[in-house]
Amino acid sequence: MRIIVIGAGEVGYNISDILSKEGSDVVIIDRNEERLKNVSENIDVQTLHGSGSSPEILKKARLDQSDMIVAVTDSDETNIVACLLAAVQSRSILKIARIRNPDLNRDSKIFDRNHLGIDLCINPEREAVANIINLMEYPGASEIIDFAEGRIKLAAFFVDGRCEAVGKELRDVKNVCGTADFLIASITRNTEPIVPTGKTIIRENDYLFVLSESKNVRNILQFFGKDVAPPQRVFIMGGGSTALMLSEILEKKGVLLKIIEKRQDRCDTLASMLDKAVILHGDGTSQDLLKEENIQEADYFIAVTNDEEANILGSLLAKQLGAKKAISLINRVDYTHLVPYVGIDGVMNPRQSTIGKILHFIRKGKILSATPLRDEKAEAVEFIALETSEITNRPLKEIRFPKGAIVGTILRNDEVIIPWGNSVILPGDRVILFALRSAIPQVQKFLTVKLDYFG
Amino acid sequence: MKAGKILSILGAFLFFIGLLMILPLSWSLFCGDPDVEAFGIAILAVCAFGGILYFVTRSAEEITLSHREGFLIVAAAWFLAAAAGSLPYMIAGVLPGFTDAFFESASGFTTTGATVLTGLDGMPHGILLWRSMTQWLGGMGIIILSIAILPLLGVGGMQLYKAEMPSPVKDKLTPRITETARTLWIVYVILSTAEFILLLFGGLEPFEALCHTFTTMATGGFSTHDASVAYFQSPYVQTVITLFMIVAGVNFTLHHSLLLGDFKTVLRNSELRFYLGVLLAGTLLVTYDLWHTVFDRILVSFRYAAFQVVSITTTTGFVTDNYERWPGLSRFLLLLLFFVGGSAGSTGGSIKCLRILLILKHSAVELYRLVHPHAVTAVKLGKQIVAPETMASVWGFFILYLGLTVTATVLLLLLGLDPLTSFSATASTIANVGPAFGLANPSSTYAGFPCPAKWILSFCMIAGRLEIYTIMVLLTPEFWKK
Repeated sequence: MRIIVIGAGEVGYNISDILSKEGSDVVIIDRNEERLKNVSENIDVQTLHGSGSSPEILKKARLDQSDMIVAVTDSDETNIVACLLAAVQSRSILKIARIRNPDLNRDSKIFDRNHLGIDLCINPEREAVANIINLMEYPGASEIIDFAEGRIKLAAFFVDGRCEAVGKELRDVKNVCGTADFLIASITRNTEPIVPTGKTIIRENDYLFVLSESKNVRNILQFFGKDVAPPQRVFIMGGGSTALMLSEILEKKGVLLKIIEKRQDRCDTLASMLDKAVILHGDGTSQDLLKEENIQEADYFIAVTNDEEANILGSLLAKQLGAKKAISLINRVDYTHLVPYVGIDGVMNPRQSTIGKILHFIRKGKILSATPLRDEKAEAVEFIALETSEITNRPLKEIRFPKGAIVGTILRNDEVIIPWGNSVILPGDRVILFALRSAIPQVQKFLTVKLDYFG
Repeated sequence: MKAGKILSILGAFLFFIGLLMILPLSWSLFCGDPDVEAFGIAILAVCAFGGILYFVTRSAEEITLSHREGFLIVAAAWFLAAAAGSLPYMIAGVLPGFTDAFFESASGFTTTGATVLTGLDGMPHGILLWRSMTQWLGGMGIIILSIAILPLLGVGGMQLYKAEMPSPVKDKLTPRITETARTLWIVYVILSTAEFILLLFGGLEPFEALCHTFTTMATGGFSTHDASVAYFQSPYVQTVITLFMIVAGVNFTLHHSLLLGDFKTVLRNSELRFYLGVLLAGTLLVTYDLWHTVFDRILVSFRYAAFQVVSITTTTGFVTDNYERWPGLSRFLLLLLFFVGGSAGSTGGSIKCLRILLILKHSAVELYRLVHPHAVTAVKLGKQIVAPETMASVWGFFILYLGLTVTATVLLLLLGLDPLTSFSATASTIANVGPAFGLANPSSTYAGFPCPAKWILSFCMIAGRLEIYTIMVLLTPEFWKK
């Protein structure tokens, strides 16, 4: 597959890296030569210097021979124009654009096939807000990812010492837990992911990925000693568009909100848009202000300013002052994997959400969704099993899976099955599979070879 | 830097070099030459050594390389290639000493064309083919060939590519480095085939045509005769070779554009114009100088002048006449042209036209700035502004290049060689030309040089082929610090 990526920022860089490693030919366009230099030094792609909305440059990038264009510059307009130019060149090319302006996004009809013809619009902030809301429903988890339209959830969390499961082999854990069925799909220990077997022993500070039916998630978190009460009081640091989007949703849920924003005019806007939330004019990293507003009573402190270092510091300060949990908005992948270790409970990463969404879209057809997990070292893949596929109609233990891959859940009609060695995948089942990044190309081959034959 | 990773790549690389010797081996078998055994032993030794090295040090991990590792691997690969390539000469007894064999082999891979061999006309064909083949392989780059062919180097390839092709402006023709490498090699093979056919029309034996094609397209300069191209006494052959030397000195991305039918890019290219301008100006001056002094007829003067100017400028090093007996102006111009070279991204060596052009433009900009102190000034190449860092790197290269030339010249003088020989031989080997003046004039060889001088010149050839930086960076203490 030949793909043109416009914008060599964090999202463009990471998408190109992943796609190139998976075997696509990537051309990346940016106006900043420094960034391009960084790209060409680290990943095997072609770089082009120029504007992504220039027909000349797109021609140079051989738009006519490309299968997809991914426009992820900071400018919505550039992204839209690039997709329009691509549409003029060829009807069949897939077009993905990052559109951040919430006003543009609200009326998504204009982007459909009959108008602008953009196949996928992504608003990173919206994706991230959805993530956070999900996370807040299950306060014990550090990450929550939906599968099968939310019927299956993947919860990720650290194991603390007081949990019963510590020191036990995985196959014994279920007996202790009782009825709720779940699968521990992956364990990150000392930043390295491991694919667990029945004999793997759970240790303190392991970072577990647990898959289960949505209704059981609370019980499972409770079993692992996690707090599951929904939040009552929430502090939000920063009053940008992300904060506003988040506040609107939380307000509807009846959560008591306090929003801290530095700029007076933005405070006024917020006050006019929100009815119940307390708008505070000041600095979110000021101890006095936080104490004065009873930070120790807060269930959540969510830092969503544009300054990610300030978000991290603000979250740490709030936790130190007594806030129960803290979530930070962090865009740099470099920081993301550090966060759980310094004491921040969750990360919202709009860029990573964007990457996840794009990958999901790219793999559509063969694979329903793919979500990069922490550090991007592992991925969860959702697909529909086919009649002709090697994995159907045979007990799982007889299937030779690529190394580093494990079947997490099977969804048959409305029944959720947590598989074990004798389980059989039937054609038409939706399967969620976990794989380390290194195993992804093999997994894809494994799944698609038969599919091509089928189609 | 991880030793295992570096050694495993070098092991695979050596194995590959060993396999390449199968071609001369099969030629020898076909002709029934006495050097079959030499190639057999050399292939076994090189492949066994490389294979064992690879299997002992390889790991399942995906190979990613840092800049430093890239430099180290490329530099080591070139020295190893030269050493491996010297085995057939030693085993066949053509050049029994390691120093001579290494010199000849390094001169081959770096496309220099400086030789210590005499009596080429009676050599076994396998050896002659291997000599020419090393030049052809080294011309487009042995690392680039490995990137194109060995799947092992997919991800780490970019670092190696940059270390072997350190031209100031980098063009990646396709999204993937392996594709780019393959494309360059395909263009190279197409042009070589064209020359081969044209030389056959000139009445050359297929073997001679093949060897000369190899060494022309690589701008190498090895011949199958002591008298070089002069042996053929054919204006047609001279003209064909002149044309293909010019072609080989052009940036291969331009050839690629041309093959795709994109004439506009090619015609607008300012480096190409400069390169052709230098060739034309040099030819005209030398023609004027030769007319009535060496040759009576102006057309003959022009043919000899064009051949020699092109041969020296593109750093090929073929000769049709002993230029040392030419008048002063011609000799001076030829010596000066040692420092020009082909285009960036061509098979030619030396400083390269692009750098000379940029330096001239930069100087012009400085003058302009003196007249208009407030003017916005920038060095431009076509419609693009050349970044100040690029300019700085060009100047840095220029200074290092001259610095290495001076250092090596001084070392040769210390060994007791005369100034003209020392300077011209150094300049010739760093530029990968081949013949020089004095002791190393076209009708002589490097055989008379003292042993240490041959090592110094071998080093100069490899440093010159890898455009100085890649080798010099290894000599800085900073490189080896953790």
